[in-house]
Amino acid sequence: MAPLLAVRDLRQRFDVSGSIFDRLRIRNGRITAPRRIVHAVNGVSFEIARGEVLGLVGESGCGKSTLAKTVIKLHEPTGGAIALDGEDITQHDFHRMRPIRKKMQMIFQDPYASLNPRQRVRDIVMEPYLENAAGPVPDVAERALALLAKVGLGREHADRYPHQFSGGQRQRIGIARALSVEPDLIIADEPVSALDVSIQAQILNLMMDLKDEFGFSYLFITHDLSVVRHISDRIGVMYLGFMVETGPKDAIFENPLHPYTQALLAAAPVLGTPLPPAADAIKGEVPSALNLPTGCPFRTRCPLAFDRCAAERPVLKSQGGGHAVACHLHDAGVPVA
Amino acid sequence: MNEAARIPVAQPAPLLSVRNLRTWFHTFGGVVKAVDGVSFDVAPGEILGLVGESGGGKSMVGFSIMGLIDPPGRIEAGEIVFEGEDLARLDEARMRRVRGKRVAMIFQDPMTALNPLYTIGNQLEEMLKLHTDLPSARRRERAIEMLREVGIPQPESRLDNYPHQFSGGMRQRVVIAISMIARPRLLIADEPTTALDVTIQAQLLRLMKHQVTQNAASLILITHDLAAVSQMADRIVVLYCGRIVEKGRAADVIERPRHHYTRGLLDSIPHHDKAQARLRQIPGSVPDIRKLPPGCAFAPRCPAAQDICRRVEPELVETATGQAAACHFPIEAIR
Repeated sequence: MAPLLAVRDLRQRFDVSGSIFDRLRIRNGRITAPRRIVHAVNGVSFEIARGEVLGLVGESGCGKSTLAKTVIKLHEPTGGAIALDGEDITQHDFHRMRPIRKKMQMIFQDPYASLNPRQRVRDIVMEPYLENAAGPVPDVAERALALLAKVGLGREHADRYPHQFSGGQRQRIGIARALSVEPDLIIADEPVSALDVSIQAQILNLMMDLKDEFGFSYLFITHDLSVVRHISDRIGVMYLGFMVETGPKDAIFENPLHPYTQALLAAAPVLGTPLPPAADAIKGEVPSALNLPTGCPFRTRCPLAFDRCAAERPVLKSQGGGHAVACHLHDAGVPVA
Repeated sequence: MNEAARIPVAQPAPLLSVRNLRTWFHTFGGVVKAVDGVSFDVAPGEILGLVGESGGGKSMVGFSIMGLIDPPGRIEAGEIVFEGEDLARLDEARMRRVRGKRVAMIFQDPMTALNPLYTIGNQLEEMLKLHTDLPSARRRERAIEMLREVGIPQPESRLDNYPHQFSGGMRQRVVIAISMIARPRLLIADEPTTALDVTIQAQLLRLMKHQVTQNAASLILITHDLAAVSQMADRIVVLYCGRIVEKGRAADVIERPRHHYTRGLLDSIPHHDKAQARLRQIPGSVPDIRKLPPGCAFAPRCPAAQDICRRVEPELVETATGQAAACHFPIEAIR
């Protein structure tokens, strides 16, 4: 069966040079005007099957949020292709995207910024539905209440405004809004990062219950490894705009192959274990996306880097069992398209 | 239980002893009892973890110790005895000689602590000028030395950089350097790594632990991250709605929590080393601190709550191992 979402070699660059006057430089006695390009997403490919949860992890600046916003076409992609349910949406303009948004919805990190403060909750949750409705919807009030009930909010909440809710409740409103059009795919960008731990657990449980009930897929973006392991079927690890490793979650957690994935897992604090020794720690910081390293993006911090890593950029190669890694140390596999 | 736990240790006099601290805010909406009767000790060289969710009052404990509570907030009652002196009674002039010199604090956002208009060299040397009698030539040397210690590459040239020229992780390193340069006895770190990536977070936790150990100083680590605190702290204090619900040795609190709130918090964390079908969650949310329920503040969310919990506020009761829980029906350890 064709995957629900297929992303091929997606690229996203942002020109941050500013005007010609911002760019003018004198170098070696000559006037130049170099451009400054942020290479946010650099040729990322992945698929999501129906009912599957793909977790994307990586540190800040690795391009995971940009990738999500590009997939849902909040940014126009610089290159590559996005197909939803077999339909190529890469070149779709605003009007052609409207019916697509019925199939693909997004939940944002900040439950404060992503709700209109002047709208009542009943209007917020029904907005995507009404936008896409062919004609008048006579049962709009009942539908709104039913949606709120699905996310654990009551009738008494329907006429309130967003500021009257706590962070966890606001995230529930955001989830209800996404559910209103019964989408096939929900893109969740750090949906629990702003919440307290006890509320995080409530929202994660709710998101999983709804998935089981409606059978949609998630593209779940987070920096939190314990959350990603809990919720995902498959995991993609991103670094500096590249997908460095993908695979079933147990393969990633039990047999991480990329040195970056290994370092990330070693650095994450685990309850009741001692602080990992400095020898296991990853050194330095993420290079600038304005000026990508040659070859492997991770080579500047990689303890195992050798000559080839600077000369040649590794591609994702399959290691069997759906596990693929982009590292010259695992060179034997077959390149993944 | 590990060996260390069995060996009785002679308790040295505490470096800091907070007794029955009440920090209240008088607002138009009512009195916010941000800290309400909190007592704990910090021994010399000890790392104490102060944990809880937002609104628990953990940051306000740190601010109270530093004397940084502004109106409408006020320390209503209690003592903050530090090296034999009650900080709650000191006036601002004398408090200034304590801050930075004997007690230092670092915050979540390093930019709130750094002055964007001065080079970091200026800011490091200012601390030495205020709190030591080092001659100016030595101050620069010491500043370079300190930057090297916190892992800033090329410290000689970085000294003349401004805060905006550093990344988030590097800025927090600079803040640690500034806070430790006058060799304070106590460092209070309020969510120091929350805004940083995991790989950077581990580096900084290690750095703080090293700095504190090397200077034989104590650390109060304020955080919502139970995993991080379990890796760092010797003892843990758990706060809920401004009150202590549980305290004890870190391993005891993490492995054998006695309060239902502590257990709920621990259960809420997905374990990344083992997959589970469903997370155990604490129902409901933190109550409005201006309208706390009578009795135990956690009772409305507690699985073990009985009638008495809704009427009588439980006292902190200490067990033989020094673990204390404020609960009428504490979880009994299964041995």
